[in-house]
Amino acid sequence: MRHLRWLLIPILVVPLGWLLFTGFGRDPRAIASPLIGQAAPTWTIATLDGATLGTDELSGRPYIVNFWASWCIPACVDEHPVLASAHETYGDDLVVVGVLYQDAPADAEGFLARYGDAGYDNLVDAGGRLAIEYGVTGPPETFFVDANGIVRDKQFGPLTDALMAQRLASIGVGR
Amino acid sequence: MATGTGMIPSIGHAAVLIGLGLTAYALVAYVLAARGGDPRLGISGRRAVIGSFVAAAVGCVAMMISLLTHDFSVLYVAENNATSTPPFISVISLWAALEGSILFWALLATGWAALVLHRYRDRHRQLIPWVGATLAAINLFFFAVMVWPGNPFLRTAPVAAEGLGPNALLQNHPFMALHPPLLYLGYTGLAVPFAFAIAALATKRLDTEWLRIVRRWTLIPWIFLTLGIVAGAWWSYEVLGWGGYWAWDPVENAALLPWLTATAFIHSAMVAERRSGLKIWTSAMVIATFVLTLVGTFLTRSGIVASVHSFTQSAIGPWFLAAIVISLAGALTLLVWRLPNLAGDGRPSGTVSRESAFLFNNVLFLGLTFAVLFGTLLPLLVAATSGDTISVGAPWFNTVTVPIFIALLFLMGVGPALPWGSASWATARERFAIPVIAAVVVVGLVLALGLRDPASVGTLGLAVFVAAVMGDEVVRGARARGRTRDENPALATWRLTTRNRRRYGGYTVHVGVLVMAVAVAISSGLATDRTVTLAPGETATIGAYEITHDRLVVEPLANDARIIETRAEVTYSGPQSGSLGTALRDYPNSPTVVATPAVRTSLAEDLYVTLLASDAATQTVTLHLFVNPLVVWIWIGGAIVGGGAVFAIWPERRARRVTVEHPQRAARPSVENA
Amino acid sequence: MKGWLPAVALGALLALGALVVILALRPGPLATPEERADALAAELRCPDCQGLSVADSPTQSAIEIRRQINELVVAGASDGEVRAHFVARYGEWIRLAPSSAAPWLIPFAFVATAATALTIWLVRRRPPPLRVPARISPGERARIHAEADALDG
Repeated sequence: MRHLRWLLIPILVVPLGWLLFTGFGRDPRAIASPLIGQAAPTWTIATLDGATLGTDELSGRPYIVNFWASWCIPACVDEHPVLASAHETYGDDLVVVGVLYQDAPADAEGFLARYGDAGYDNLVDAGGRLAIEYGVTGPPETFFVDANGIVRDKQFGPLTDALMAQRLASIGVGR
Repeated sequence: MATGTGMIPSIGHAAVLIGLGLTAYALVAYVLAARGGDPRLGISGRRAVIGSFVAAAVGCVAMMISLLTHDFSVLYVAENNATSTPPFISVISLWAALEGSILFWALLATGWAALVLHRYRDRHRQLIPWVGATLAAINLFFFAVMVWPGNPFLRTAPVAAEGLGPNALLQNHPFMALHPPLLYLGYTGLAVPFAFAIAALATKRLDTEWLRIVRRWTLIPWIFLTLGIVAGAWWSYEVLGWGGYWAWDPVENAALLPWLTATAFIHSAMVAERRSGLKIWTSAMVIATFVLTLVGTFLTRSGIVASVHSFTQSAIGPWFLAAIVISLAGALTLLVWRLPNLAGDGRPSGTVSRESAFLFNNVLFLGLTFAVLFGTLLPLLVAATSGDTISVGAPWFNTVTVPIFIALLFLMGVGPALPWGSASWATARERFAIPVIAAVVVVGLVLALGLRDPASVGTLGLAVFVAAVMGDEVVRGARARGRTRDENPALATWRLTTRNRRRYGGYTVHVGVLVMAVAVAISSGLATDRTVTLAPGETATIGAYEITHDRLVVEPLANDARIIETRAEVTYSGPQSGSLGTALRDYPNSPTVVATPAVRTSLAEDLYVTLLASDAATQTVTLHLFVNPLVVWIWIGGAIVGGGAVFAIWPERRARRVTVEHPQRAARPSVENA
Repeated sequence: MKGWLPAVALGALLALGALVVILALRPGPLATPEERADALAAELRCPDCQGLSVADSPTQSAIEIRRQINELVVAGASDGEVRAHFVARYGEWIRLAPSSAAPWLIPFAFVATAATALTIWLVRRRPPPLRVPARISPGERARIHAEADALDG
């Protein structure tokens, strides 16, 4: 019984150490999205080219919504080729949609001129309404929506080829 | 441009390596001295510690030179400096980012160690070897971090022609020169009482002498920590633009946690002096304070919680976690091992006494520490157990901590007025009657004037209560002294306070706390703000002020042309009049623009203007206007707290300290008839 | 003179207590839509800041969220519905304070437990009251009290 007091040490040290340890490897700003498993937001928004794009035109096909900005360096620069390659590889099976996040159209066009325009539509999100609909906290964030309009996955941070393949699989692309 | 030979960074890195070696040697020497007792090992260890301080200084100077000469071959310089960076900013960039801040930390930590070991070189011979060993072990950790995961002198190739430049927020205000050094002096200094606690536990020498030393060496860094926290709040108020000074951000909480336990210790030490109990409690508080400095530093440097200060996750995190676990487990092991030797023997005084007030004070401070730590770590806990993400922000912290602060205010008034022994209700009734009446009158007035926020009203009432009690104490003491020594009231008051520096310094600190409490209560309860959009020439009113927008100016900064400033120039009239410019600055390496609010301070209130948005075509601006009453008194109160503490520990002029060397073999004193 | 001061103090305290109770129980004016919107904005976290509320933040997302709050409040949504609107998009993270009760109560439970434990410890271990046999006569006692009062007056 005398030696019960030694238990004080693991009781105090182990939970604290474990708790602080669990923080490693997890980005504290990567919040869990409540959209997963729910119907994706519907919208009709102007694109960078001056046309309009709406979710009704996308029905029946899986699509990904990628929030980016020209000032988002180096993350958006790093993932830009990944998105371009997905657009080229999957053609009509997948629609890639970019959305400007707190960015001026002129700056966005400068980015595309510098890093290459893959040819998919980029939406001009006036006032940031769409970003709020999707629960975006900062670029880059990408949402993966299946052919039925249900959000299946979300990527917080830049995409890599491996992550893109993994998340595309969740919406039935590339199997 | 980059220095051709790249010698300076190499010298810096070599200095760090030498520091590592010297500290390791000091650790071994002190441990051997503690075990075996050869005093020459102790001397040699002390010299090694002083040498490690010199090495850290050389490293800091090398880094400063690299920053001033824009040597982009050093990765830290390339990431935190640019050719256009002004010299002042280059110098303070030493502590701007992770690796440099650890170098600066090592400088201060070795400085404290050298100071303490040198000062006590001829005294406390049983304790000092262990103190030296503990401090050397702590410093060894920081040097090791600089040698392995966090090398400040890491080179980069190819050498870039231009650096990224310092973080935008750091360039905006001269306080960046003041706030981190003050804070770090506090953090690093708190290793000293911890080392004395370890030494006392190891040698079983927890006596009043030890308590006196630990109290002094907690108070000195406590002063720096307090001033550092207040400076941080002031800086954040002047720079961040949201009109507030404390957001319960993890980095703010990290500084507050050790401050809370250190303050608790300062109070419980006074109880422990009077009766030999509470040794376990006071040692635990000292240990907790040091471990919390590590936890706080870890939280902001590891990137595991999101904060305005956080760095991305790096290899440094696991090292700090290991340091926390080892120091906590090690100190606790010593404490538990010595538990039988530490059990108190005295009985506490009555339930209502100064002693019990101090003990309840500790309960409340411990409660605050628990609350702040819990709130900061809860998101981590929830994410680890369920994967959900939640936030714990200002609303939670304010709701939880304000009642505890108010209870502490109450104790602050009641405690010093109660006698140490048991107090009767009759004494208490008589002592507190007038202060209670004064407080009730003020609360009634305040309620009549329309203030309804319970926290603000309660704070004001208690502040009057505490002030009345303290005033009564001073008056009684001066009167008694004047009567017995035939001095006039002014002289009696002066002599009373200067001859009892600890007590009246403590009262001054409490006065400072009162000033801050009232200022915080009024500035949060009675602040007004509004957002207006003005075209040139248009006027808006807020409070008693009229604000007129004159023009919108977009131009590069005079002292750094890479920074583009969009500035709204505004004239204002009212209790204060003049013109100001409030701006948004576009820094080259920052995604969003940085607000540079304009603050016009008077003793009564601050006029605070932030530029939210502007339209260059129409020259209209959207301004967020604030009138914040009494804010300057928060900073003044902080200065009073610091000044009071300095007064409290300032040695009295006629201090008679006699050091008696206890002979090894005392001869039996012979008793002779006088 | 000073005999009745404690009574006055107690009376004043009780009167103040009564006033506070009356003020607290009196139904306050209904919050205007502006006040409701401000209060809600102070509860929600700005998505691209570090811990600031939407009320305090100047970023574009904060401005847009405040606009949406205003829209919802004016359209008649209750406070709970406004909160649910944003929680559906961001999750519980957007709320600056946890919505479940436990995190709010735990710190108070901690302080209450510690204070109670301390009180019990103090009461149990207090020294027994001194019982000094009175060896002074009542006349002496009265004289001593009178002199003591004269000193303090």
